[in-house]
Amino acid sequence: MENKWRFLKEKSAPYLLLTPFVIWFLIFFGYAFIRVLFFSFTDYDLFATPRFVGLSNFQGLFREFLFARALKNSLTYAIIVTTFQTIGALILAVVLNYKIRGIKFFRAAYYMPSVTSSVVITLIFIWLFQRKGVINYLLTLFAQYRLLIWVFLIFFLISQTLLVLKEKWRQRPVSIFEPSYVVLSLLLAVVITFLLKTGGFISILTVQPLETIWLNTRETTPNWAGSLAFPRPLAAIMFLNIWTTIPTFMLLYLAGLQDIPLSLYQAAEVDGASTVQKFWYVTVPQLRHITFLVVTMGLISTLQMFDQVAIIGGQAPQESIITLAYYVYVTMFPRSAIAEVGMASAAALVLAVLTLIIVVIQQRVTGERRYKSE
Amino acid sequence: MSELSSNQQSQVELQFRIRRKRWLNVGAVYLILILISFLFMGPFLFGAISSLKDNPTEWPPTIQTAQLSPRNWLGAFNLARQAGSGGLFGQFKAGKMVQLKVTYRFPAGHEVVLPEVSIPVRVAGSGQAALDLTQKYAADYLEVSAVEEIKRWTEGGAIYAEYQIMISNPSHFNFDIVPLNLKVPYQVEFVQGTLTPNNIERLGMVQSWKNISSGLIPYIFHNYDRVFNENYSRSTGRSLFLSWVLNSFFISIMRVITTLILAAMAGYVLARLKFVGQKLFFVLILFSMMIPAQVTFISNYLVLRDGVFGLSKMFGVNSLLNTFSGLIIQGMVSGSAVFIMKQFFAGLPRSLEESACIDGASTYQTFFKIMLPLAKPALGALTILTFQGTWNDFFMPLVIITSPMDKFPLTVGLLSFRIMYGAAGMAWGPILAGAIISALPIIILFVVFQKYFVEGISFTGLKG
Repeated sequence: MENKWRFLKEKSAPYLLLTPFVIWFLIFFGYAFIRVLFFSFTDYDLFATPRFVGLSNFQGLFREFLFARALKNSLTYAIIVTTFQTIGALILAVVLNYKIRGIKFFRAAYYMPSVTSSVVITLIFIWLFQRKGVINYLLTLFAQYRLLIWVFLIFFLISQTLLVLKEKWRQRPVSIFEPSYVVLSLLLAVVITFLLKTGGFISILTVQPLETIWLNTRETTPNWAGSLAFPRPLAAIMFLNIWTTIPTFMLLYLAGLQDIPLSLYQAAEVDGASTVQKFWYVTVPQLRHITFLVVTMGLISTLQMFDQVAIIGGQAPQESIITLAYYVYVTMFPRSAIAEVGMASAAALVLAVLTLIIVVIQQRVTGERRYKSE
Repeated sequence: MSELSSNQQSQVELQFRIRRKRWLNVGAVYLILILISFLFMGPFLFGAISSLKDNPTEWPPTIQTAQLSPRNWLGAFNLARQAGSGGLFGQFKAGKMVQLKVTYRFPAGHEVVLPEVSIPVRVAGSGQAALDLTQKYAADYLEVSAVEEIKRWTEGGAIYAEYQIMISNPSHFNFDIVPLNLKVPYQVEFVQGTLTPNNIERLGMVQSWKNISSGLIPYIFHNYDRVFNENYSRSTGRSLFLSWVLNSFFISIMRVITTLILAAMAGYVLARLKFVGQKLFFVLILFSMMIPAQVTFISNYLVLRDGVFGLSKMFGVNSLLNTFSGLIIQGMVSGSAVFIMKQFFAGLPRSLEESACIDGASTYQTFFKIMLPLAKPALGALTILTFQGTWNDFFMPLVIITSPMDKFPLTVGLLSFRIMYGAAGMAWGPILAGAIISALPIIILFVVFQKYFVEGISFTGLKG
């Protein structure tokens, strides 16, 4: 008898260990997902019993102005942010892949924006984007010094070109961005600009302090894009999010860079490839699968953007920053109306379906590659 | 012979050129790295510096603030010492007297007059603190005992005069806050003083100090002081911000504990057990990691409202909304945590369990005595990641905890801060100070356990 009991206990052990997680998973994910599906076909309002209403929630969604704006904002946001953060992360990873002393410190420093909470970062950014904030101040400074900056850049380019041409003329191998020449040209350009400034040939311009309103405005940007332009507050959030997510994806790229065999670069060098060519024909193709991961992860996370919108809240007009995730939230908990759980669920499903499409594509592609490599 | 030496010479020269070039290259890389680190650290550093300022939105923005000048540190320290307390934390003690020196510049031809000195009534904060009628104000008890000119000199046509102001406390009470106002005629300029005034108002005519006897630490961190001491809960009378910090710690630690236990158990079984529909289950877990909380919260909100199908009624609670238990139960484990543990256990050799089995150990004994101790690295990474995730979590607390305010975690509290201080023309000082405080624990954690953060990223890819 006791043996049988022990046998049962031993047999059931794995299932008992798994049970708490499965129960949690079924309630807070499985049941939740099915219920959202169910609510999207009803007119539930948190109190009365839900009534079946067919597809009218979905029809209502696509008739509503705010939802259309949310969808448009989410998609614009996802595409633009993902593009920039992928490029930025790749470049940053290449820079941080130099093996010099103290590189670990820089990696940690760059990673800072990724560990702190979105609330903290958004608050700091709202402050930077104030009418009398740091962003406007920096832009004003740029406007004041633009003549000097142009002179500086032109002389830098001239000096760099001359130095490189001189080497080429002597038939020595040299790349366009040869760092030692860059440093030399920078120094030369600084000296020339300084001399011209003290000689009175160029001067700091006097301009009105820039007072661009970044958040509380209905203006769109960029001006020339017409109907494709997006609201300026959204542009501010894009800027913020690119800044916070570049380091995260930089880490993925960094891991990938360290896996590229050195022999590939050596072979390219033997063939006489320049730095830019090596980057373009060795690094980028070798990182293909990581780029794919970064793009899909980026799209998924940007489609869900919520925190930044909620924290900026009343600081910007709602329709210019509303996203799908925020639309679901405000429809579920409207300020002064009855909750439209049906509509919120329908919108949540749209968000879920968009995410699932990307996940499925991701699984297909990575699965295929795994299959091929086996 | 001479040919050889010239050859050697050119060799040396070549060596020198190569070395010089290498140094320049390294220099260029460091330059780029430093420039980029300004881009990524700049907003934090400048935010941290500005959180000390009286007016963080001053124009033009500078990094030279009165709170960071050693002269003012000395002034604040000495004033607090004269007021009868230690210099670091001040209080104006009974029977004490402090001496403040200020210098004014009178334009040529302007009559030199003494500044008008007054101690105003200033009510700090909002809520319960502001309604406390029993509070005693320094204005009603303290006296300005003397205002004297001690020095006068001319420079560039203008007259400079230095005054000495004595303020005494003849009463039997100690005062925490002693504000001070000085008023001079139009066009008279404030040059310097023992302590730089917090505000210069009315076209430079009024210089005001928030608290002359605050002591060194509250002087430098006055916005941080405001964060903790300006907002009190209406129900418990405790500092709101302190409650938020403690709540965040409590919720994060609880969630770390539940996640570690549940994820380790489930991860172990999933790594070892074969069952029907396993592949589908993994796909579902993967989906749950991708699907945003904004989809599932609709049902989860209702589940918690109804006390998880009425189960909470067994503990005498009708609804789990606005409770920490609700927040902890909803997030007590996550798909990604189980995934991390599963990956780790799958990498351990099976021979460990086989030998345990031969020794007659049960599944539980094998798991708790052998496998769990081996999983320390993964559990460490999971602890850090879960703590960070919960500390930074904003959306679910926003949904689940809406009132009272002293139950908020830090993230939701900061949002209410934004709304509270945003109403009165945006007092950015306390908002920035609050943000910096709430970022600190995670930054410290990051500096200490850097490698776990990096490991976590490569495990999950994580959302921004």
